[in-house]
Amino acid sequence: MTKRTVLIGLDGATFSVLDPLVDQGVMPFLKQLRWMGARAELRSVVPPLTPPAWTSLMTGRNPGHHGVFDFFLKEDNSPHIRFATSRDVRCETVWSIANRNECRVTTLNYPLMMPPPRLNGHVVAGGWMTPRQLRLGCSPDALYDSIKTIPEFDPKKVAMDMAHEEKALEGCDRDEYESWIQMHIAREEQWFGILRHLMREEPSGLTAILFDGVDKIQHLCWRFLAPEWETGTPEPWEQGVRDAALAYFSRLDRLLAEIETLAGPEATLLIASDHGFGPQTMTFFVNAWLESEGLLAWADADQPRESDAATLGMGQLARHVTMLDWKKTKAYAATPSSNGIHIVTAEKASDPGVPPAEYETFRKQLIDSLYNLRCPGTNTRLVEQIWTREEAFDGPFLHRAPDLTLGLADGGLVSILGSDAPVKLREQPSGTHRPLGVFLAKGPGIQGGIRADELSILDVAPTLLHSLGMAIPEDMEGRVAEEIFEPSFLEEDPVRYGGVAAPAEAAPPKTSDNIMFDADAEAEMAKRLRALGYIE
Amino acid sequence: MTAETRDDVFETVLNLLRKMDEEWEDSDEITPQTWLVADLGLESIDVVVLGTTIQEHYDRSMPFAEFLAEIGEQEVRDIQIDQFVDFVHQHLNATA
Repeated sequence: MTKRTVLIGLDGATFSVLDPLVDQGVMPFLKQLRWMGARAELRSVVPPLTPPAWTSLMTGRNPGHHGVFDFFLKEDNSPHIRFATSRDVRCETVWSIANRNECRVTTLNYPLMMPPPRLNGHVVAGGWMTPRQLRLGCSPDALYDSIKTIPEFDPKKVAMDMAHEEKALEGCDRDEYESWIQMHIAREEQWFGILRHLMREEPSGLTAILFDGVDKIQHLCWRFLAPEWETGTPEPWEQGVRDAALAYFSRLDRLLAEIETLAGPEATLLIASDHGFGPQTMTFFVNAWLESEGLLAWADADQPRESDAATLGMGQLARHVTMLDWKKTKAYAATPSSNGIHIVTAEKASDPGVPPAEYETFRKQLIDSLYNLRCPGTNTRLVEQIWTREEAFDGPFLHRAPDLTLGLADGGLVSILGSDAPVKLREQPSGTHRPLGVFLAKGPGIQGGIRADELSILDVAPTLLHSLGMAIPEDMEGRVAEEIFEPSFLEEDPVRYGGVAAPAEAAPPKTSDNIMFDADAEAEMAKRLRALGYIE
Repeated sequence: MTAETRDDVFETVLNLLRKMDEEWEDSDEITPQTWLVADLGLESIDVVVLGTTIQEHYDRSMPFAEFLAEIGEQEVRDIQIDQFVDFVHQHLNATA
């Protein structure tokens, strides 16, 4: 019998939110999975960020190998920052490996899939898709016409409605929270409608869908979902937001149950998130701190200030090339999403920056200074962990990684804005990423009711391939989570390793590529990142 | 490999734009003088994706960074289809 697997991605899902909802009866299907299947916490990559994490899940490789470290990519020897695209994924994905094993693939709403790779099956790219991009994001070309035959299909609902999404600022009007959550419920239903259509009409051996509303709702509505909610005394409107958020999770749970029914009992069901979630209570203005240390200088007085609500961090992101005084800057944070610090190195003696001979000393001093920072009001460390690029990654794209990646005490993301103080407490905690996401599995040979020890996000790809009866490429860094399978099942169907993954589907650009944000695109990106909670 | 003529490029760009435009009943006919943002209503992010898709189509990297940066400095921060086609054609010929 041909094996089939369904992979469901829940962006940002964490057991600290899901478990209480299961206990409260909001998610009865997930409750069933407690005894029907296996579960484990899933450790993300460093940093726990959507593009590198999902790419690691799809490839079983760390970012140093697959080349995706952030939403954006700074070209080698170029000042320009551009979007990371599917062309930048430099390792073979499970989609391609499945195809090589004569298994058709359907993959819906996964990031780093635009332009869509040409697979045997169906691709609808995810990420920041506007309605007008949907047809271009579909592969094969005829897929969009097939999707359009779905009676309830509405491109404006399935893609991002930025006019509405923009309202997801932390200062979002009270009245707008509930409609914003409703928008995400509608979007998940749209994606499910596409999935159901394809599972019924053109089923694949490997079917994958990503629901990204979990992440967005947790970013904006963390305090309404946090475990501490139960001890509070909410105002009526707060209770309304809480109820709306719970309605989202309840609907999501029903969609999961419907997918399981569509897949049938003989299919393997894997559920995974790219990272977990938790509260962020402070803001570390890392570029402001670097400036105070004499390591960063702005080119003029137009540096982006904390109060600059119109451009926020993304204005700085796109323009940091011109806004920083490169003759005086030795270290800077390029994006608010990666928690990374880049060190400017001098290629020639006459160049500004840190001479190569002094790099190690400079980096060590920078690390020491960061560890000496303290949280406001306490004497505890602000920066709990610092990874050098060699500690966090390995592989041919190591040089693209930040020189240092920061793990902040509150688990939060840095700000790249200017500020009169390097660290400030937030008025209200917001939701932000944490390293531990979720992994759930049920299906043939998978034990029911077990809690396995922590797994790595790199383990998902090998486990998925094994569930399809395929050999695991030997260059995958993860392992099959054998502990979730029945021993007798593994005896009959042992894990097989063999071969290596093929080169990535798309060749990388041959020269310094391409897309610089003009001011409008930059503002658009700001809206999107702000809506996602990446910009405070 | 046969070099693409400007008409070929125009047709390719037009086909891509039609794919982005077909759903929107309020759009006018697309001509060489059509503005991507003002007339077709593309978001700036759509223009970025159009550039990515063109490069994918031709399997060729082009300096869209500089192109869009130049547009961003103009008084009218928008792109006419003719302008876009000229850019693509010029860079295809330069590296063909």
